[in-house]
Amino acid sequence: MDKTWIVEEKPAITVAIPVFNEQDNVRLLYQKIRDVCESLQQSFEIVFVDDGSSDRTFDLLEDIHSQDTRLKAIRFRKNYGQTAAMAAGFEYACGEVVVSMDGDLQNDPADIPLLLEKMNEGFDIVCGWRKNRQDKFWSRRVPSIVANWLIGKVTGVQIRDNGCSLKAYRASVIKNVALYGEMHRFIPAMSTLAAARIAEIPVSHHPRRFGKSKYGIGRAWRVALDIATVKTLTGFASRPGLWFGILAMPAFALGLLTVFGAVTALFSNLPMSWSVLFTVGSLGMFLGVHLLSIGLVAELGMKTGDYLPKLDVRPTVTVLEAPGRVFYRQSEVDSGQHAV
Amino acid sequence: MQCENTVALSVIIPISDRCDDLRKLYLQYVEVLAASNYSYELIFVLDGVDVEALEILKKLKSEFPHLEVITTNRKVGEATVLAIGFERAQGSTILTLAPYSQVEPAEICRMLQEFGEGEYDLVISRREPRIDSVFYRLQSWIFHRLTRMLTKLPYHDIGCRLRVMRREVTEEVRLYGDLHRFLPFMAYQRGFRVGEVPVRQSKTDKKRKVSHPGVCLKRMLDLLTLFFLFKFTKRPLRFFGLFGSGLFGGGGLIAVVTVLLQLLGHETPVGRPFLIMGVLLMVLGVQLFSIGLLGEIIVFTHARKSKDYAVSRILE
Repeated sequence: MDKTWIVEEKPAITVAIPVFNEQDNVRLLYQKIRDVCESLQQSFEIVFVDDGSSDRTFDLLEDIHSQDTRLKAIRFRKNYGQTAAMAAGFEYACGEVVVSMDGDLQNDPADIPLLLEKMNEGFDIVCGWRKNRQDKFWSRRVPSIVANWLIGKVTGVQIRDNGCSLKAYRASVIKNVALYGEMHRFIPAMSTLAAARIAEIPVSHHPRRFGKSKYGIGRAWRVALDIATVKTLTGFASRPGLWFGILAMPAFALGLLTVFGAVTALFSNLPMSWSVLFTVGSLGMFLGVHLLSIGLVAELGMKTGDYLPKLDVRPTVTVLEAPGRVFYRQSEVDSGQHAV
Repeated sequence: MQCENTVALSVIIPISDRCDDLRKLYLQYVEVLAASNYSYELIFVLDGVDVEALEILKKLKSEFPHLEVITTNRKVGEATVLAIGFERAQGSTILTLAPYSQVEPAEICRMLQEFGEGEYDLVISRREPRIDSVFYRLQSWIFHRLTRMLTKLPYHDIGCRLRVMRREVTEEVRLYGDLHRFLPFMAYQRGFRVGEVPVRQSKTDKKRKVSHPGVCLKRMLDLLTLFFLFKFTKRPLRFFGLFGSGLFGGGGLIAVVTVLLQLLGHETPVGRPFLIMGVLLMVLGVQLFSIGLLGEIIVFTHARKSKDYAVSRILE
């Protein structure tokens, strides 16, 4: 006899998986996740985001969906990339906790309970750390180590493995983190804007069984540029003028000093030619002014935008009611219905 | 006559720059459209106050009351005019036509057939073979070659006004200014399937001269805008940062080498201008980079809610 599933309105856990041409993996992945989640004794949903696959991935998802409606699937019109797929997964997730993972079976669904356990200790984001990474050493692991070290140094969020997709998030936090471009690598860093508490635990990692890896090396510079973006946004989201000011100061000071040096060189008989110093110095000062004014325009952009950091990082206020006192909701007071 | 009130096809003719004898053109179009078995509406959208054209349209309207004429009170650009037409359109299929004879009228039918097969959401046309002068063809070829190179999308004639599309395309793609040439690119980005169909060029569309240099310059600027918006809307630092750091690095190298040469006593007459150029390049690099950062801040604060993706189906 078929089991009938009772789907609650709001599941406790959402597992979100971006997939792109993974027809060999989806069914197995679904079964594994389902088994793990059922053992948790909590309501759950599995959201697959099909990033415009050209193979039978979505047909298979439709097939599974017809048997088990706890599986949801979203199909993109075309391939938009992993970050967009993740963003869609978070957008459509209904659970209080969202777990994201890769669709290629390299992450092990058996690690999900570990992530949730860690989360219960009071963290908002728990990241997986692929301690024994099963990828090529030089082309995949070394760049990753360097990138993670750099991300940690620059943004101050020391995560050993930003690139690991297996992560668990509190939905209220992740839904507030803007995810665009190729920012999925920087979710932990970006979520500091939402004052998230972040933890990291080791997870297992398997070599690819089916299909091909969709990554390659040759994106180091793009990652470096992304780090600059993340630093600007996380470090100075509320005061971009300050950030550009910090950048402007050395240029301006050096320029001023050089111009001063040029003037002294003019009146003494030093061998260094004064006009060169003067040119270089005034360009330095010019750069300082340029950066400062860019900073001012950035402040303008921040002020007119819809991003108000103060609201996002507002601490949760808990009101403890004194015993014996009755509180009314504002609407009840207004309508005069005092139900005492 | 059941389907008298439902319109299957909306035909939009934006009139922006040049237009031919509108009456003759109208009759030509109507003849072809009648043969296509679609129930259709026809909308003329006039860009700005063109007294002459308006008079002709008014006369046409009194003669054929079924057609619709919209005018704007000032010049707003062909794409905006097109968008106004899209808003008025009621049909589920939308056909745009040029206000002058651009392709052989019989080709319109073929386009509709091609679209009717349902393989594409937007079908654009390509005038093939071109009967223009060699110079014009060369100019157009260079422009489209560059466009294809920068966007990696295989369109050969984005200036041809004959297009057929599903209503959804007009609802999701926002056109403004004179970005009507970018319609296929924007539709592609929203995940629509875009196809290109070769059509015969009209004899009267023949162009002998190359475009005015001003027009060429504008096209090139359009191309730059398209490239930037197409690839870097959500990540401006990728664009500015690449050029900025390249210039900064190059400038720094030049500056260091010239200073070293001077310190070692190899003073050359070109040393000084080279130093100045190096320093200027460094300044330019920093400028570009900081503009990129500024762009990132603007995207972050103003486009957080805009989605990077388009969903075709949801199972829940």
